[in-house]
Amino acid sequence: MKLIFEKSVKGREGYSLPQDLFDDIKIEECLPEYAISKDKKILSEVSEVDVVRHFTKLSKLNYGLDDGFYPLGSCTMKYNPKINEKLASLSNFIYAHPFAPENTVQGCLEIAYDLNKLLCEITGMDEYTMAPAAGAHGELTGILIMRKYFVDRGDIRHKMLIPDSAHGTNPASAAMGGFQVVEVKSNEKGTVNLKELAELMDEDTVGLMLTNPNTVGLFDEGIEEIEKIVHHKGGLLYYDGANLNASLGIIRPGDAGFDIVHLNLHKTFSTPHGGGGPGAGVIGVKKDLIPYLPTPNVAFNSHQNKYYLSDAGEKSIGMVRAFWANFSVLVKTYAWILSMGPDGLYNASKTSIINANYLLTKLKKYYKPAYDRYCGHECTVTGKEYKKYGVKTLDIAKRIMDYGMHPPTIYFPHFEPYAEETIMVEPTESESKETLDKFIDIMIKISDEAKTNPELLTTAPHITPIRRTNDALAVKRVILTYDDELKLKDELNYTNENIEF
Amino acid sequence: MSNKVIENLYYTKSDEWLKVEDSIGTIGITDYAQDQLGDIVYLEKIEKGKKLKQDETLTTIESVKAVSDIKTPVTGEVTEVNIKVIEDASIINKEPYIGGWMAKIKIENKDELKNLMSAQEYSEYRKE
Amino acid sequence: MRYIPNTEEQKKEMLKEIGVSTFEDLIESIPQNLQLKDKLNIPEAISESELEDKIFHIAKKNADFNSMKPLIGAGSYRHFIPEAVKFLLQREEFWTCYTPYQPELSQGTLQSIFEYQSYISRLTKMEVIIPSIYDGASATAEAALMSLRLTHKNKIIVSNLLHPHYRETVKTYLAPHETEIIDLPYKNGLVDMEKLKILIEEDAASIIIQSPNFFGGIENMAKISEIVHSKNILLINVIVESMSLGILKAPGDTGADIVAGNAQSFGMDLNYGGPYNAYLGTRKQYIRQLPGRIVGETVDIDGKRVFVMTLRAREQDIRREKATSNICTNHNLNVLAANIFLSLMGTEGLYQISLLNAKSAHYLENLLLKSGKFEKVFNYPFYHEFLLKSKEDISTVNKKLLENNFIPPLKICEFYQAGNLKNVLLFAVTETLSRDHLNNTAKILSE
Repeated sequence: MKLIFEKSVKGREGYSLPQDLFDDIKIEECLPEYAISKDKKILSEVSEVDVVRHFTKLSKLNYGLDDGFYPLGSCTMKYNPKINEKLASLSNFIYAHPFAPENTVQGCLEIAYDLNKLLCEITGMDEYTMAPAAGAHGELTGILIMRKYFVDRGDIRHKMLIPDSAHGTNPASAAMGGFQVVEVKSNEKGTVNLKELAELMDEDTVGLMLTNPNTVGLFDEGIEEIEKIVHHKGGLLYYDGANLNASLGIIRPGDAGFDIVHLNLHKTFSTPHGGGGPGAGVIGVKKDLIPYLPTPNVAFNSHQNKYYLSDAGEKSIGMVRAFWANFSVLVKTYAWILSMGPDGLYNASKTSIINANYLLTKLKKYYKPAYDRYCGHECTVTGKEYKKYGVKTLDIAKRIMDYGMHPPTIYFPHFEPYAEETIMVEPTESESKETLDKFIDIMIKISDEAKTNPELLTTAPHITPIRRTNDALAVKRVILTYDDELKLKDELNYTNENIEF
Repeated sequence: MSNKVIENLYYTKSDEWLKVEDSIGTIGITDYAQDQLGDIVYLEKIEKGKKLKQDETLTTIESVKAVSDIKTPVTGEVTEVNIKVIEDASIINKEPYIGGWMAKIKIENKDELKNLMSAQEYSEYRKE
Repeated sequence: MRYIPNTEEQKKEMLKEIGVSTFEDLIESIPQNLQLKDKLNIPEAISESELEDKIFHIAKKNADFNSMKPLIGAGSYRHFIPEAVKFLLQREEFWTCYTPYQPELSQGTLQSIFEYQSYISRLTKMEVIIPSIYDGASATAEAALMSLRLTHKNKIIVSNLLHPHYRETVKTYLAPHETEIIDLPYKNGLVDMEKLKILIEEDAASIIIQSPNFFGGIENMAKISEIVHSKNILLINVIVESMSLGILKAPGDTGADIVAGNAQSFGMDLNYGGPYNAYLGTRKQYIRQLPGRIVGETVDIDGKRVFVMTLRAREQDIRREKATSNICTNHNLNVLAANIFLSLMGTEGLYQISLLNAKSAHYLENLLLKSGKFEKVFNYPFYHEFLLKSKEDISTVNKKLLENNFIPPLKICEFYQAGNLKNVLLFAVTETLSRDHLNNTAKILSE
């Protein structure tokens, strides 16, 4: 499709200006020569109509959750309730300046304070910080809390244990937090190898980062033993909340001995993903770690009956961002919890677990499960069996698009020998049995096509706005802006068909 | 699955090959490795004169979807670097054993060759 | 529950298909004693209309911000957002989709990011743009980390006039990396050039300068660059008010090696502090040390021009602990807002609004000085934020403004303790304040 720059017509405008442009003020008299740019910065020149059509057309090249099934494993693509969007965009919220006087933002603070309490109850923790902007940001925050906790005790430790099944963000966050990453292998059941954990967990190790259910979608039945091993050596247990959607009202990480928890509000708590954020990655901790939370945090003064942003004090790790939270995401989360209530939350997790196990049961005849046992809220199967027909898991995923659905997560998690060529399906509670049945039918059909007509898969997708992309060329050419493209114009030599679709 | 193996080279478990001529060893990655990586797009600059111990990281290789460390099969000093593959890493996909060599190293201790695999052993090791 | 389609009957049927008699059989791997016996102790579910009532009620506990005009900025700026931005943003295809891992189903998101990279590249004159870090503070911290990787040094010089929250965030991010942070003082509202010359040493990885700075002052970046680059040090130029780029020189033209910019002014509401968005810019030679997602152009198998996430081997999902950053989910919807905003503004619109901000701010400063109730603290060039010392107690001043529906300016003493900054306010003016508003402000404060 044409770029906005290619629709630009000199002199066309999409903006409106106030009548009074303060022409009586001469900018040259206000600012020194070194400050002012000699030329105007050239953007594009399009009308409001052009812009609306351009972005509407662009939107139609996307597939969203409201279009249909979006079973990305480990991403919890659940329905985003519409009322929550309206509530988050109330003018009293969106026009609230982060430095507005405290007595003018009591509503904002009340929501954050209340939400803090609700999340504590849901997860069994003692206090949350609303600061982190995303899951990985929450991980970093949690790891910095761990680091500060040990430094303050004069107990300098260097290593962090992370299972091989973990998301890439875990080791990356640990490295950003200054720790050496030590990988813990999974056992034949897909969960943490306890013997190896016991050997690796020593007094130079700050603790273990664990996702539970883990990234293969399996509950770690050794959780009590894991807790003992880590705490016995004075370590802390970190809970990656990416998969909390299997646990609401069923098990609380706090009860299982976790010291730090991060939650992805844009996963479990239904706030929209927005094509890659914004979300929020709030962190909950046990009592001993509260002083280490980032500053500021929301608090309540019962004498004055007033909420306020409190300075976290000397032990705090400090600030991890400007201001204090992704507030509008908090409103949506709060609204969702209130709509669900305790029964609704339990029902969400229960339904998501039933949905995932139903898929696993129906798919496993055609796609070998990574582990043949009941799963949590997502199931991991593999496309290994189809390699002999010249079909990769990637081809299976691309073929799903031809049937009008978004493919599941592929090639993650990856650890030999169990999880290879993985297809990780997370249906969430938002999907009906009818949708799941349709997906199952498609997957069976594709398995048949793989055997009889593999080319149909290796050349898929066929009916999407574009076909398979040349990713290597993108790295080789490095065209990252329209100006980069203009420099290579002759070499690229696009025809109208290449850019109009 | 592509898994061509060349006779008379030494091989590592991490899929590097080493060709030995007198005391000079030439290092590259195997056909199996390039196939696993997929479209190779980048090879990190290698410093000439750098001294490395066996199994230390010589450089890093990137494909579109993966990244991997290249380790030196033997201890020694880097004496020559293949500028061509630094400039166009896709050569490694096309000719892993010929044009795709990465660096030459002055072998310090030939005893270390005992830790490496022969063509037959490697072929067996990477058999599916 | 209206968000959960499957009926109890269907769930039973599915359990039967799975081959278990109860749901509890599916979760038997969770130790019995850890399974909750009672339901969560949170309020019972309420209906959609009850929810609306409840949140409306809470929202009313805020001031009626709809009828208020901010005279405050300090890193969060109220600019006018055309309705088309919000309207288009809410298209479900943008709003409810995931990170564009599957380019065949995400060209809308990918092309939009590419266009945005192009806009920001032109505004900053930087070759490569990372479109989305969470906010300006975390982007500045990422830039600092990037400079450590590029130089293998462990000292960073930070301007005292970098937004205090940004400074704090940089400190937090650098804490595990044994990095020395040197404070660069200010003089007369701008970086102290003499001190800069003294502090600049080869062992520093980078220097972080915000312009316009926290006091609103426009730094002479070209001159700073000359001094900084006399030594082998990277210049990180932080932009907290990106609207200023409409008229001010681009950081790329004044010697910046890395740019970290808060994009909130481009179509994002104040939202009581977030979510906003930030970009990073640099030269192509540093590309492999950049954190975060980037979109590039390529072709599909039919030869169509298409867009994909590229240079992915830097990222956490591939490189794990060796990644350039842990960032995964970012603020991508805010990138879209900024792209739509900039598309509507275009070349002329952005220039005019940017100009108007500077002009109206100078108009207000002049009025307030003329009122005799305020005096200058520094004689420095500023963009649309400025410091004034009040003759009246600033709490009284702010109370008056609040009573008259203005969100009052920042008391600078909350962040700076210098003697000459006592009883000083940091005003911000944007195009949302008309001449009438500004006259009214001056009138209220003259009484």
